[in-house]
Amino acid sequence: MSIKDTIIVLLIVTFMSLFSNVLGTPAGIVESIPGLLILALIALAGIVMAKYLPGNIPSVAYVVTLGCILTYPGVPGSEFINFWVQKIGFVSLCTPILAYAGVAIGKDLDAFAKNGWRIVVLACVVFTGTYIGSAIIAQAILKYLGQI
Amino acid sequence: MYNIKLHAIILALIIVAELIGAHTFKIGVGTIVLLPMLYALMIGILTTPKFLNLSGKKEMHDASALLGITLMLLMARYGTLVGPTLPKIIAASPALILQEFGNLGTVLIGVPVAVLLGLKRETIGAAHSIAREPNVALIGERFGLDSSEGRGVMGVYIAGTVFGTIFFGLMASIASSTLPFHPYALAMAAGVGSASMMTAAVGSLSAMYPDMANQIAAFGAASNMLSGLDGLYMSIWMGLPMTEWLYKKCYRMRYGTAPEASEAGKEEK
Repeated sequence: MSIKDTIIVLLIVTFMSLFSNVLGTPAGIVESIPGLLILALIALAGIVMAKYLPGNIPSVAYVVTLGCILTYPGVPGSEFINFWVQKIGFVSLCTPILAYAGVAIGKDLDAFAKNGWRIVVLACVVFTGTYIGSAIIAQAILKYLGQI
Repeated sequence: MYNIKLHAIILALIIVAELIGAHTFKIGVGTIVLLPMLYALMIGILTTPKFLNLSGKKEMHDASALLGITLMLLMARYGTLVGPTLPKIIAASPALILQEFGNLGTVLIGVPVAVLLGLKRETIGAAHSIAREPNVALIGERFGLDSSEGRGVMGVYIAGTVFGTIFFGLMASIASSTLPFHPYALAMAAGVGSASMMTAAVGSLSAMYPDMANQIAAFGAASNMLSGLDGLYMSIWMGLPMTEWLYKKCYRMRYGTAPEASEAGKEEK
Protein backbone atom coordinates (compact mmCIF):
# COMPACT_ATOMS: atom_id res chain seq x y z
CA MET A 1 0.00 0.00 0.00
CA SER A 2 1.38 3.43 -0.92
CA ILE A 3 2.09 6.03 1.74
CA LYS A 4 -0.78 8.15 0.47
CA ASP A 5 -3.22 5.25 0.83
CA THR A 6 -1.84 4.45 4.27
CA ILE A 7 -2.46 8.03 5.38
CA ILE A 8 -6.02 7.93 4.09
CA VAL A 9 -6.76 4.64 5.85
CA LEU A 10 -5.21 5.93 9.08
CA LEU A 11 -7.38 9.04 8.88
CA ILE A 12 -10.48 6.91 8.38
CA VAL A 13 -9.62 4.71 11.38
CA THR A 14 -8.83 7.78 13.47
CA PHE A 15 -12.23 9.19 12.56
CA MET A 16 -13.95 5.91 13.49
CA SER A 17 -12.00 5.68 16.75
CA LEU A 18 -13.18 9.18 17.64
CA PHE A 19 -16.71 7.80 17.84
CA SER A 20 -15.81 4.72 19.89
CA ASN A 21 -13.67 6.80 22.26
CA VAL A 22 -16.29 9.49 22.83
CA LEU A 23 -19.00 6.88 23.43
CA GLY A 24 -16.84 4.41 25.35
CA THR A 25 -14.70 6.62 27.61
CA PRO A 26 -15.35 9.73 29.70
CA ALA A 27 -13.41 11.88 27.19
CA GLY A 28 -15.35 14.27 24.94
CA ILE A 29 -14.79 15.02 21.25
CA VAL A 30 -12.39 17.93 21.74
CA GLU A 31 -10.36 16.04 24.35
CA SER A 32 -10.08 12.94 22.17
CA ILE A 33 -8.81 14.56 18.96
CA PRO A 34 -5.21 15.45 19.99
CA GLY A 35 -4.51 11.99 21.41
CA LEU A 36 -5.90 10.23 18.36
CA LEU A 37 -3.88 12.42 16.00
CA ILE A 38 -0.70 11.73 18.01
CA LEU A 39 -1.39 7.99 17.77
CA ALA A 40 -2.03 8.24 14.04
CA LEU A 41 1.30 10.05 13.57
CA ILE A 42 3.16 7.41 15.60
CA ALA A 43 1.50 4.68 13.52
CA LEU A 44 2.39 6.44 10.27
CA ALA A 45 6.00 6.98 11.34
CA GLY A 46 6.31 3.29 12.25
CA ILE A 47 4.84 2.13 8.95
CA VAL A 48 7.17 4.44 6.99
CA MET A 49 10.18 3.23 8.98
CA ALA A 50 9.33 -0.43 8.31
CA LYS A 51 9.05 0.37 4.62
CA TYR A 52 12.37 2.16 4.22
CA LEU A 53 14.65 0.86 6.96
CA PRO A 54 16.60 -2.35 6.36
CA GLY A 55 16.22 -5.55 8.38
CA ASN A 56 12.73 -6.60 7.33
CA ILE A 57 11.32 -5.73 10.76
CA PRO A 58 7.51 -5.62 10.85
CA SER A 59 5.95 -2.17 11.25
CA VAL A 60 4.15 -3.29 14.42
CA ALA A 61 7.57 -3.46 16.14
CA TYR A 62 8.46 0.07 15.02
CA VAL A 63 5.07 1.46 16.05
CA VAL A 64 5.16 -0.08 19.54
CA THR A 65 8.81 0.90 20.10
CA LEU A 66 8.18 4.48 18.98
CA GLY A 67 5.20 4.70 21.32
CA CYS A 68 7.40 3.44 24.17
CA ILE A 69 10.24 5.87 23.55
CA LEU A 70 8.02 8.91 23.09
CA THR A 71 6.29 8.32 26.44
CA TYR A 72 9.40 7.25 28.37
CA PRO A 73 9.56 9.54 31.42
CA GLY A 74 12.06 12.32 30.83
CA VAL A 75 12.05 12.21 27.02
CA PRO A 76 11.28 15.72 25.74
CA GLY A 77 7.57 16.00 25.04
CA SER A 78 6.71 12.74 26.78
CA GLU A 79 4.50 14.49 29.33
CA PHE A 80 2.58 16.25 26.62
CA ILE A 81 2.07 13.05 24.62
CA ASN A 82 1.18 11.06 27.70
CA PHE A 83 -1.34 13.67 28.80
CA TRP A 84 -3.28 13.42 25.56
CA VAL A 85 -3.02 9.72 24.73
CA GLN A 86 -4.20 8.86 28.25
CA LYS A 87 -7.62 10.09 27.17
CA ILE A 88 -7.78 7.38 24.52
CA GLY A 89 -9.12 4.09 25.85
CA PHE A 90 -7.29 0.96 24.74
CA VAL A 91 -10.47 -1.10 24.66
CA SER A 92 -12.33 1.61 22.74
CA LEU A 93 -9.67 1.51 20.03
CA CYS A 94 -10.44 -2.18 19.54
CA THR A 95 -14.09 -1.57 18.61
CA PRO A 96 -13.51 -0.19 15.08
CA ILE A 97 -10.90 -2.86 14.39
CA LEU A 98 -13.20 -5.71 15.32
CA ALA A 99 -16.03 -4.09 13.36
CA TYR A 100 -13.85 -4.26 10.22
CA ALA A 101 -12.76 -7.74 11.25
CA GLY A 102 -16.38 -8.87 11.57
CA VAL A 103 -17.23 -7.74 8.05
CA ALA A 104 -13.99 -9.27 6.73
CA ILE A 105 -14.59 -12.59 8.49
CA GLY A 106 -17.89 -12.91 6.66
CA LYS A 107 -16.07 -14.25 3.63
CA ASP A 108 -14.33 -17.02 5.60
CA LEU A 109 -17.25 -17.93 7.81
CA ASP A 110 -17.27 -21.58 6.75
CA ALA A 111 -13.62 -21.97 7.63
CA PHE A 112 -14.27 -20.38 11.01
CA ALA A 113 -17.27 -22.58 11.74
CA LYS A 114 -15.32 -25.67 10.74
CA ASN A 115 -12.40 -25.00 13.06
CA GLY A 116 -14.06 -22.87 15.74
CA TRP A 117 -14.29 -25.50 18.47
CA ARG A 118 -10.75 -26.70 17.79
CA ILE A 119 -9.42 -23.20 18.23
CA VAL A 120 -11.32 -22.73 21.50
CA VAL A 121 -9.86 -26.01 22.84
CA LEU A 122 -6.44 -24.88 21.66
CA ALA A 123 -6.89 -21.52 23.38
CA CYS A 124 -7.31 -23.32 26.71
CA VAL A 125 -4.17 -25.36 26.02
CA VAL A 126 -2.22 -22.25 25.02
CA PHE A 127 -3.24 -20.38 28.18
CA THR A 128 -2.35 -23.33 30.37
CA GLY A 129 0.96 -23.87 28.57
CA THR A 130 2.01 -20.26 28.97
CA TYR A 131 1.03 -20.17 32.63
CA ILE A 132 2.61 -23.43 33.70
CA GLY A 133 5.69 -22.85 31.53
CA SER A 134 6.30 -19.47 33.14
CA ALA A 135 5.60 -20.85 36.63
CA ILE A 136 8.18 -23.62 36.22
CA ILE A 137 10.91 -21.16 35.23
CA ALA A 138 9.88 -18.63 37.89
CA GLN A 139 9.94 -21.34 40.56
CA ALA A 140 13.41 -22.52 39.51
CA ILE A 141 14.87 -19.02 39.41
CA LEU A 142 13.34 -17.84 42.66
CA LYS A 143 14.66 -20.94 44.33
CA TYR A 144 18.12 -20.42 42.81
CA LEU A 145 18.15 -16.82 44.02
CA GLY A 146 17.00 -17.94 47.45
CA GLN A 147 13.92 -15.70 47.34
CA ILE A 148 11.56 -18.53 48.27
CA MET B 1 -10.67 2.38 0.99
CA TYR B 2 -13.02 4.73 -0.86
CA ASN B 3 -15.85 2.32 -0.18
CA ILE B 4 -18.27 4.70 1.51
CA LYS B 5 -20.84 1.97 2.08
CA LEU B 6 -18.34 -0.09 4.07
CA HIS B 7 -17.34 2.84 6.28
CA ALA B 8 -20.96 3.78 6.88
CA ILE B 9 -21.69 0.21 8.01
CA ILE B 10 -18.62 0.27 10.29
CA LEU B 11 -19.65 3.58 11.81
CA ALA B 12 -23.12 2.24 12.55
CA LEU B 13 -21.58 -0.91 14.09
CA ILE B 14 -19.33 1.18 16.35
CA ILE B 15 -22.15 3.39 17.56
CA VAL B 16 -24.48 0.45 18.27
CA ALA B 17 -21.71 -1.55 19.98
CA GLU B 18 -20.60 1.33 22.20
CA LEU B 19 -24.17 2.18 23.14
CA ILE B 20 -24.74 -1.40 24.32
CA GLY B 21 -21.61 -0.92 26.44
CA ALA B 22 -19.45 -3.32 28.42
CA HIS B 23 -21.09 -5.98 30.56
CA THR B 24 -19.40 -8.30 33.02
CA PHE B 25 -20.87 -11.32 34.75
CA LYS B 26 -19.33 -12.55 37.96
CA ILE B 27 -19.01 -16.32 38.07
CA GLY B 28 -17.19 -17.82 41.04
CA VAL B 29 -13.52 -16.82 40.90
CA GLY B 30 -13.75 -14.83 37.71
CA THR B 31 -15.89 -12.81 35.40
CA ILE B 32 -17.11 -13.25 31.87
CA VAL B 33 -16.44 -10.04 29.99
CA LEU B 34 -18.50 -8.81 27.07
CA LEU B 35 -16.97 -5.71 25.51
CA PRO B 36 -18.28 -3.45 22.74
CA MET B 37 -15.57 -4.83 20.42
CA LEU B 38 -17.28 -8.20 20.66
CA TYR B 39 -20.68 -6.86 19.64
CA ALA B 40 -19.03 -4.96 16.79
CA LEU B 41 -17.48 -8.22 15.60
CA MET B 42 -20.69 -10.22 15.93
CA ILE B 43 -22.94 -7.67 14.29
CA GLY B 44 -20.25 -7.16 11.65
CA ILE B 45 -20.48 -10.84 10.79
CA LEU B 46 -24.28 -10.55 10.72
CA THR B 47 -24.10 -7.88 8.00
CA THR B 48 -22.48 -10.31 5.55
CA PRO B 49 -24.32 -12.16 2.74
CA LYS B 50 -25.03 -15.30 4.78
CA PHE B 51 -27.23 -13.25 7.11
CA LEU B 52 -28.49 -9.72 6.53
CA ASN B 53 -26.58 -9.20 3.27
CA LEU B 54 -25.81 -5.54 3.98
CA SER B 55 -22.11 -5.98 3.26
CA GLY B 56 -21.45 -7.58 -0.09
CA LYS B 57 -18.35 -9.22 -1.54
CA LYS B 58 -16.74 -5.85 -2.19
CA GLU B 59 -17.24 -4.66 1.39
CA MET B 60 -15.84 -7.90 2.86
CA HIS B 61 -12.85 -7.72 0.57
CA ASP B 62 -12.15 -4.04 1.26
CA ALA B 63 -12.53 -4.55 5.00
CA SER B 64 -9.90 -7.26 5.08
CA ALA B 65 -7.53 -5.13 3.00
CA LEU B 66 -7.79 -2.33 5.58
CA LEU B 67 -7.46 -4.47 8.71
CA GLY B 68 -3.66 -4.42 8.92
CA ILE B 69 -3.46 -0.65 9.08
CA THR B 70 -6.40 -0.25 11.44
CA LEU B 71 -4.40 -2.28 13.97
CA MET B 72 -1.49 0.19 13.90
CA LEU B 73 -3.40 2.90 15.74
CA LEU B 74 -4.02 0.41 18.56
CA MET B 75 -0.36 -0.57 18.56
CA ALA B 76 0.66 3.08 18.91
CA ARG B 77 -1.56 3.25 21.99
CA TYR B 78 -0.04 0.01 23.21
CA GLY B 79 3.46 1.45 23.01
CA THR B 80 2.38 4.58 24.86
CA LEU B 81 0.90 2.37 27.60
CA VAL B 82 4.21 0.55 28.05
CA GLY B 83 6.49 3.63 27.81
CA PRO B 84 5.65 5.26 31.17
CA THR B 85 6.20 1.92 32.96
CA LEU B 86 9.64 1.32 31.39
CA PRO B 87 11.74 2.61 34.31
CA LYS B 88 10.02 0.11 36.59
CA ILE B 89 10.48 -2.68 34.05
CA ILE B 90 14.19 -1.94 33.75
CA ALA B 91 14.51 -2.13 37.53
CA ALA B 92 12.86 -5.57 37.62
CA SER B 93 14.87 -8.45 38.97
CA PRO B 94 16.61 -11.01 36.70
CA ALA B 95 14.12 -13.60 37.88
CA LEU B 96 11.36 -11.67 36.18
CA ILE B 97 13.28 -11.30 32.95
CA LEU B 98 14.29 -14.96 32.67
CA GLN B 99 10.79 -16.04 33.55
CA GLU B 100 9.60 -14.43 30.31
CA PHE B 101 11.04 -17.36 28.41
CA GLY B 102 8.31 -19.44 30.02
CA ASN B 103 5.95 -17.81 27.56
CA LEU B 104 7.58 -19.98 24.91
CA GLY B 105 5.93 -22.92 26.69
CA THR B 106 2.92 -21.85 24.67
CA VAL B 107 4.61 -23.00 21.48
CA LEU B 108 5.98 -26.27 22.84
CA ILE B 109 2.61 -27.44 24.11
CA GLY B 110 0.32 -25.55 21.75
CA VAL B 111 1.72 -26.62 18.38
CA PRO B 112 1.59 -30.42 18.91
CA VAL B 113 -1.92 -30.17 20.36
CA ALA B 114 -3.05 -28.00 17.45
CA VAL B 115 -1.77 -30.50 14.90
CA LEU B 116 -3.37 -33.35 16.85
CA LEU B 117 -6.67 -31.48 16.82
CA GLY B 118 -6.42 -31.37 13.04
CA LEU B 119 -5.69 -27.67 12.65
CA LYS B 120 -3.56 -26.73 9.64
CA ARG B 121 -1.96 -23.30 9.16
CA GLU B 122 -4.33 -21.93 11.81
CA THR B 123 -1.78 -23.44 14.20
CA ILE B 124 0.79 -20.75 13.40
CA GLY B 125 -1.52 -17.95 14.47
CA ALA B 126 -3.17 -19.76 17.36
CA ALA B 127 -0.19 -21.37 19.09
CA HIS B 128 2.71 -18.93 18.58
CA SER B 129 1.78 -16.86 21.63
CA ILE B 130 -1.03 -16.13 24.01
CA ALA B 131 -2.62 -14.04 21.21
CA ARG B 132 -3.02 -10.62 22.71
CA GLU B 133 -3.26 -7.43 20.65
CA PRO B 134 0.38 -7.15 19.52
CA ASN B 135 0.30 -10.76 18.36
CA VAL B 136 -2.87 -10.15 16.39
CA ALA B 137 -1.18 -7.17 14.75
CA LEU B 138 1.95 -9.20 14.01
CA ILE B 139 0.04 -12.08 12.40
CA GLY B 140 -2.12 -9.56 10.56
CA GLU B 141 0.97 -7.97 9.10
CA ARG B 142 2.76 -11.20 8.21
CA PHE B 143 -0.13 -13.24 6.83
CA GLY B 144 -3.26 -11.05 6.79
CA LEU B 145 -6.07 -11.61 9.25
CA ASP B 146 -8.19 -13.28 6.59
CA SER B 147 -5.63 -16.06 6.13
CA SER B 148 -5.68 -19.38 7.99
CA GLU B 149 -3.04 -18.01 10.35
CA GLY B 150 -5.19 -14.94 10.92
CA ARG B 151 -8.24 -17.03 11.77
CA GLY B 152 -6.16 -18.91 14.31
CA VAL B 153 -4.91 -15.84 16.11
CA MET B 154 -8.32 -14.15 16.04
CA GLY B 155 -9.99 -17.24 17.48
CA VAL B 156 -7.65 -17.41 20.46
CA TYR B 157 -7.77 -13.63 20.90
CA ILE B 158 -11.55 -13.64 21.11
CA ALA B 159 -11.66 -16.70 23.39
CA GLY B 160 -9.13 -14.96 25.65
CA THR B 161 -11.09 -11.72 25.69
CA VAL B 162 -14.32 -13.41 26.72
CA PHE B 163 -13.15 -16.26 28.95
CA GLY B 164 -9.57 -15.22 29.75
CA THR B 165 -10.20 -13.80 33.21
CA ILE B 166 -12.32 -16.69 34.41
CA PHE B 167 -9.83 -19.16 32.97
CA PHE B 168 -6.81 -17.53 34.62
CA GLY B 169 -8.64 -17.04 37.90
CA LEU B 170 -9.50 -20.72 38.00
CA MET B 171 -6.12 -21.92 36.79
CA ALA B 172 -4.22 -19.94 39.42
CA SER B 173 -6.25 -21.41 42.24
CA ILE B 174 -6.11 -24.95 40.85
CA ALA B 175 -2.36 -24.72 40.23
CA SER B 176 -1.63 -23.38 43.69
CA SER B 177 -3.68 -26.07 45.42
CA THR B 178 -2.53 -29.05 43.31
CA LEU B 179 0.95 -28.23 41.96
CA PRO B 180 4.12 -27.72 44.02
CA PHE B 181 4.63 -24.07 43.06
CA HIS B 182 5.35 -21.21 45.43
CA PRO B 183 2.70 -18.46 45.30
CA TYR B 184 5.38 -15.99 44.14
CA ALA B 185 6.21 -18.18 41.15
CA LEU B 186 2.53 -18.42 40.26
CA ALA B 187 2.13 -14.67 40.68
CA MET B 188 5.04 -14.00 38.34
CA ALA B 189 3.69 -16.45 35.80
CA ALA B 190 0.38 -14.57 35.82
CA GLY B 191 1.95 -11.69 33.90
CA VAL B 192 1.23 -12.97 30.42
CA GLY B 193 0.73 -9.58 28.77
CA SER B 194 -2.94 -9.06 29.53
CA ALA B 195 -3.86 -6.87 32.48
CA SER B 196 -7.25 -8.50 33.00
CA MET B 197 -5.90 -12.05 32.96
CA MET B 198 -3.08 -11.11 35.32
CA THR B 199 -5.48 -9.39 37.71
CA ALA B 200 -7.74 -12.44 37.78
CA ALA B 201 -4.90 -14.83 38.58
CA VAL B 202 -3.36 -12.50 41.15
CA GLY B 203 -6.81 -12.02 42.69
CA SER B 204 -7.26 -15.75 43.27
CA LEU B 205 -3.77 -16.10 44.69
CA SER B 206 -4.15 -13.19 47.09
CA ALA B 207 -7.42 -14.62 48.32
CA MET B 208 -5.61 -17.88 49.10
CA TYR B 209 -2.52 -16.26 50.66
CA PRO B 210 -3.75 -12.98 52.17
CA ASP B 211 -0.53 -12.37 54.11
CA MET B 212 1.51 -12.42 50.88
CA ALA B 213 -1.02 -10.35 48.91
CA ASN B 214 1.18 -7.29 48.40
CA GLN B 215 4.16 -9.21 47.12
CA ILE B 216 1.94 -11.34 44.89
CA ALA B 217 0.37 -8.25 43.34
CA ALA B 218 3.78 -6.64 42.81
CA PHE B 219 5.24 -9.72 41.10
CA GLY B 220 2.17 -10.10 38.91
CA ALA B 221 2.11 -6.47 37.81
CA ALA B 222 5.85 -6.26 37.15
CA SER B 223 5.86 -9.47 35.14
CA ASN B 224 2.87 -8.30 33.17
CA MET B 225 4.52 -5.01 32.25
CA LEU B 226 7.58 -6.92 31.15
CA SER B 227 5.53 -9.30 29.01
CA GLY B 228 3.85 -6.29 27.47
CA LEU B 229 7.23 -5.03 26.33
CA ASP B 230 9.10 -8.18 25.36
CA GLY B 231 6.13 -10.27 24.25
CA LEU B 232 6.10 -8.73 20.79
CA TYR B 233 9.85 -8.88 20.20
CA MET B 234 9.96 -12.41 21.53
CA SER B 235 7.17 -13.43 19.16
CA ILE B 236 8.88 -11.87 16.14
CA TRP B 237 12.33 -13.38 16.69
CA MET B 238 11.66 -16.51 18.75
CA GLY B 239 8.02 -17.54 19.11
CA LEU B 240 6.97 -17.29 15.48
CA PRO B 241 10.07 -18.94 13.92
CA MET B 242 9.89 -21.67 16.55
CA THR B 243 6.20 -22.23 15.81
CA GLU B 244 6.85 -22.51 12.06
CA TRP B 245 9.63 -25.01 12.66
CA LEU B 246 7.71 -27.13 15.16
CA TYR B 247 4.60 -27.03 12.99
CA LYS B 248 6.54 -28.51 10.07
CA LYS B 249 7.95 -31.27 12.31
CA CYS B 250 4.60 -32.14 13.87
CA TYR B 251 2.80 -32.00 10.54
CA ARG B 252 5.27 -34.38 8.95
CA MET B 253 4.95 -36.71 11.92
CA ARG B 254 1.18 -36.85 11.69
CA TYR B 255 0.54 -36.73 7.94
CA GLY B 256 3.84 -37.96 6.54
CA THR B 257 4.13 -35.05 4.09
CA ALA B 258 5.33 -31.46 4.25
CA PRO B 259 2.62 -28.94 5.13
CA GLU B 260 1.10 -26.72 2.48
CA ALA B 261 2.70 -23.29 2.11
CA SER B 262 1.00 -20.26 3.58
CA GLU B 263 -1.74 -18.92 1.35
CA ALA B 264 -0.37 -15.48 2.21
CA GLY B 265 3.20 -16.50 1.37
CA LYS B 266 3.36 -14.27 -1.66
CA GLU B 267 2.87 -11.22 0.53
CA GLU B 268 5.13 -12.36 3.30
CA LYS B 269 7.35 -9.58 4.43
